[in-house]
Amino acid sequence: MRDLFIKKVVFYSAIISFLLIACTKEKTDYEAERGNTVAENTEFKEVTSLVSSGYSIRIEALGGVLYRGYNDIRVIINKQQNNEPVAVSSVKLLPVQTNVQGMKIVCPHQSEMDYTLDGRYFSGYSVFTDESSAAVNWSLEIDFTVGGQTFTATQHVTVKPQVNKNRNLTTFTGKDGEQYLIALIAPWKPTVSENKLVAGIYKLDAAQLSYTTVNGYTLQLDPRMPEPSMGNHSSPNNKDLVQQADGLYHGVVNYTMTGNWTLNFILVNQNGRVIAGTEVPKDFTPGVEGRKSELYIDILF
Amino acid sequence: MLSLGWNVHGQNNPVTRDTTRRLAEVTVNAAAKKRIENDLKMTVSVDEYLASASNISFIKRGAYAWEPLLNNMSSERSTITIDGMHVFGACTDKMDPITSYVESNNLAAIDIKSGQEGNLHGATVAGSIDLKRRNTAFGLQKKIGGAYQTGFEFNNKQTFNLGNLYYSSDKFVADGSIAFRKAGNYYDGNDDEVRHSQYNKFNASLGLAYKTSPLSAVRVDAIFDRAKDVGFPALPMDLSLSRAIITSAAYKQLFEEGLVKVWDTKVYFNAVEHYMDDTTRPENLVHMDMPGWSTTYGLLSKINLQKDRYSSEIQVNAYDNLSIAEMRMYPQDRSKQTMFAYSWPWVTTRFASVAMNNALDLSDISRLVFGGSLGLNYNYSKYVEFNWIFHPGSPQKKNRFLPSLHASYQLNIGQFDFSLGTGFGHRAPSVSEAYGYYIYNSFDRYDYIGNPDLKNEVSYEANASAGFKTGKLSIGAKANYFFIQDYIIGRILSLGSPMNYQSVGVKGYTSLDHATLFNLALNAQYQILPGLDWKAVLTYARGQDNMGGNLPFIRPLSYQTSLHYRYKMIGVQTSMNGDFSQVNFSPEYGEDQTASYKIWNVSADYTFTIGKLNAVFQVGAENLFNEYYSTYADWGNIPRMGRNIFTSLKINF
Repeated sequence: MRDLFIKKVVFYSAIISFLLIACTKEKTDYEAERGNTVAENTEFKEVTSLVSSGYSIRIEALGGVLYRGYNDIRVIINKQQNNEPVAVSSVKLLPVQTNVQGMKIVCPHQSEMDYTLDGRYFSGYSVFTDESSAAVNWSLEIDFTVGGQTFTATQHVTVKPQVNKNRNLTTFTGKDGEQYLIALIAPWKPTVSENKLVAGIYKLDAAQLSYTTVNGYTLQLDPRMPEPSMGNHSSPNNKDLVQQADGLYHGVVNYTMTGNWTLNFILVNQNGRVIAGTEVPKDFTPGVEGRKSELYIDILF
Repeated sequence: MLSLGWNVHGQNNPVTRDTTRRLAEVTVNAAAKKRIENDLKMTVSVDEYLASASNISFIKRGAYAWEPLLNNMSSERSTITIDGMHVFGACTDKMDPITSYVESNNLAAIDIKSGQEGNLHGATVAGSIDLKRRNTAFGLQKKIGGAYQTGFEFNNKQTFNLGNLYYSSDKFVADGSIAFRKAGNYYDGNDDEVRHSQYNKFNASLGLAYKTSPLSAVRVDAIFDRAKDVGFPALPMDLSLSRAIITSAAYKQLFEEGLVKVWDTKVYFNAVEHYMDDTTRPENLVHMDMPGWSTTYGLLSKINLQKDRYSSEIQVNAYDNLSIAEMRMYPQDRSKQTMFAYSWPWVTTRFASVAMNNALDLSDISRLVFGGSLGLNYNYSKYVEFNWIFHPGSPQKKNRFLPSLHASYQLNIGQFDFSLGTGFGHRAPSVSEAYGYYIYNSFDRYDYIGNPDLKNEVSYEANASAGFKTGKLSIGAKANYFFIQDYIIGRILSLGSPMNYQSVGVKGYTSLDHATLFNLALNAQYQILPGLDWKAVLTYARGQDNMGGNLPFIRPLSYQTSLHYRYKMIGVQTSMNGDFSQVNFSPEYGEDQTASYKIWNVSADYTFTIGKLNAVFQVGAENLFNEYYSTYADWGNIPRMGRNIFTSLKINF
C-alpha cells in the first residue's frame, strides 16, 4: 500500500517533469548548419570517357562535374577490349580553352599526373578560368605512355559555373603589367575555426598563351565580414599565404562565425614589391559595409 | 531580524534529540526559520530580501533578476545553490542568476556563508548562498494551512499574487506554492519612464514527503519558473522567455544511537532555457537570436556526526552540467545567409567534491570550527574549434583539482564574543571565463573571449569579528580580507575585432597576478523603548589589482539604518539607506564615478483578524523623496526607481 503510493507519486512527478522540460526552441543542428551552403560533393564520379588507340580513358572529378575554378581530376586508363588494367608509365594532362577567335589558352594545371597505387588512377588538377559557353570551349588533352609508346587523346569537356564560393578565383593585371590568377583550393567546406587556406597563384605567359605557377611570392591576408551590421569584423591569428613544396600557397584563415566573408589580399613579390591589392581599414565601423581590397575573393559558408 | 551569514553556531548543531524522535521535518534545519521579508516590506522579492544582508550587493540590469555579489565578488566566485542543488543560468549575459528562478513564498530561509566556510556545496572564493526551500513538518496540529499575499506597487504598476498551501499528516506532507508577478515600466526620480523595465513572472512549486519509517522519509520536490516579456533597460536586448524546471528526490534517515545522526541523500535534475529577444528594439542595427540552455544532473549526500563536544557534517557532491548558448545574426537583407556562432560551444562541466566541516567545543566559552574539501572539476568543450580561434591548440578537456581549507576560533566571554578565522581555496574558471566566445558585456561594451588555459583562482582569506551584547544593545564588527592569486578578469586583447555591433573591442579573460579585497561591516541594534528598535549597518569595501588599481563593482561606503515601532496591532517602520560617493572607481573596467545618494523609506502595517483568519495590511513608500539616482553597480548607469508607493495584504490560514 505504502509502496504503491510512492510509486504513484514518482510516476506523476515524472510525467509532470517530462511535460515541463520539453524545450521551446530547438537547438541548432550545427553539423547541418555548416553544410548549409556547400553541397556534399566528396565522391569522384565519371565526367566523361573516351576510347583511343585501343585504350579506354575515364576522366573523373568530384560529383562528376567540372566547375570554373580549381578541380581535382583523376584519369583511369584500361584496355578497351576487357577493361583490364594496363601498365601506364605516365599521364600528362593539358586543359585547353579555345575562344571564339580560335585562340587557344592553357589554364593552370598539373601537367605530370601522380599515380596512386591503391586506387589505380592518376591524379592531378586543373583550374578552369571560365565556364563553358558559346564563346568558350574546353578540351582536355591526355598524353599517356604505355610500354615506352606515347599516345594522345583529346576530349571536349563542359565546365559549369562554380557553385561553391570557397572555390572562387580572381584574375587581375598586376602592377608589373602581368596577367595573374588566384584560385582558392581549400578549405572546400570551411568551419567556424582555424582553417588551412590553400590557393594557387599563376601568371599568364603571353608568348606561350599558358599559365605558369608563380614562385616565391607572398599573399597577405586580411579576412573580414562585409555585411554592414558586422562593422568590418575580422578575426585573429590569421597567417599570410606562402608557397610550399607542392607549389601551392598555404596560410591560415580563422572564421569566427558562419556567413559571408571577404578575403582581402595583397600580393607581394620576392622583392617585397606589391603586385596587387590595397590595405583595408581596420576600424570597427558598425552600419558601414566593409571596404574591400582591390584584390579580394568573397567566400560564403 | 535578519541574521544571514556567519551563523556557524546554529549550522553546526543541526541535530537535536527532539527531531531524532519525531522527525519533524524532512530537512533538519536548526537555523530558526526566518520569514522572507526585510525591515521595510513584508512581501518582498528574493532580490529585495537578499539586499538586506550586509555582505550582499547587486549588479542591476533592470528591475528584474539582479546578480548577487557576495563580499563584493561577482557570482562566478560564489556557489549559489537551491537546497544544495547546483543550478546554472542559461544566459551568457548573466540575465538569469539562480535567485531569479525561485520566489519568496517557496523559500524558508537563505543561508549565506562567507569565504571558505561556504565550501560544503562546491568550490568557492567568495562564499555560498544557499536558498532553502519551505519544508512543512510532519504531524502538525493544524493539518491544512497556508498564506495568501497580494499587493500593488504604484510606481511600476506591479501586481503580485502569492499563495502557498500545506497539508501535514503523520505520514505525509504536501507543500505547494504559486506566484504571479506582473510589472510595467518603472519611473525614475525625474518621473521619466525607464523603457524596457517591465517583467512578468510565474512560479510554482510542489513538494511531497512521505515517512517511510519513524526515522526515515522520502521527499520529491519540483519548482517551475517562467518569466516572459522581461525588459533589461541596460542591455540592448530583452528576454522573451525563460523557463526553469528544478526537480529533486531525497531520502533521509535519522539515527538514534551512535556517532552518525542524520544521513541525507538527494538526486536532482534541472533544466533552464533562456531566449533573448531584440525585436522590441527596432533601433538595433542587427537582429539577433541568442538562445541558451543549461541542463544539470546532480547528487548530494550528507551525514551529520555528533559526539559530545564534537559535531561534523560530511557532504559528497557531484554534478554534470551542459551549457549551450547560440548567437545567430541576421543580415539586413533577410534573404541572405544568416551568421551563426556558439557563445558557449556545448561546454560540459563535471564536478565532484567531498567536504567536511567540523565544530569542536574546546570549553564552555570557546569553539574551534575547521574544515576542508577537495573537488575535481572537469570541462569539455564539444566545439573546441571556437576556442582555438583565440587560443590555438588549447585542450578540449581539462581537469582541475580544487582544494579548500578553513579554520576559525570563536570565543565568548560574558557579553563579548570574538572570532578569528582563515581560509584557503581554489576555484575553477566559469564556463564563460574559460570557454565563452564573443560574449557581449554592455557595461564596458566589450566582447569577451574565454581562455581554456586559465589557472585556478586561489584565495587566501582572513576574517575576524567582534561583538558586544546587552539586553537592549548589540554592536558588532566583521571584517574579512582576501588575497586572490591569479584573479580572473577581462583585459583588452590586441587581436581580433568585435562581433556585436555595439561593442568597442575585444577583451579576453586573463589572470591578474593577484588582487586583494577587504570588506568591513559594522552593525548596531538598540532598543530605545519597549516596541521601539533602532538598527544600523555601515559597510566599507576596497578591492585592488596587483598594480594598486581599483577593481570594478566594489561597493562604496554605504549605510542602512532603520527604526521600528510596534504598538499592539500597529507597526511603523522607517529606514534610510545610501552610498557615499564612489571614490575608488575603475575606468579601466568601464566604471565612471557614481555620485552619492540617500533613500528614505517608510511603511506602516496593521494586523487584524477576519473571523478565524489572521491578516496583515501594509502600506508604504520607498524612495519617499523621489530621489533620482543610480548606484555604482547599475549597468549602464540606468536610473533606479523613483518614489514607489506599495500596498500589500497577507492572510494566513
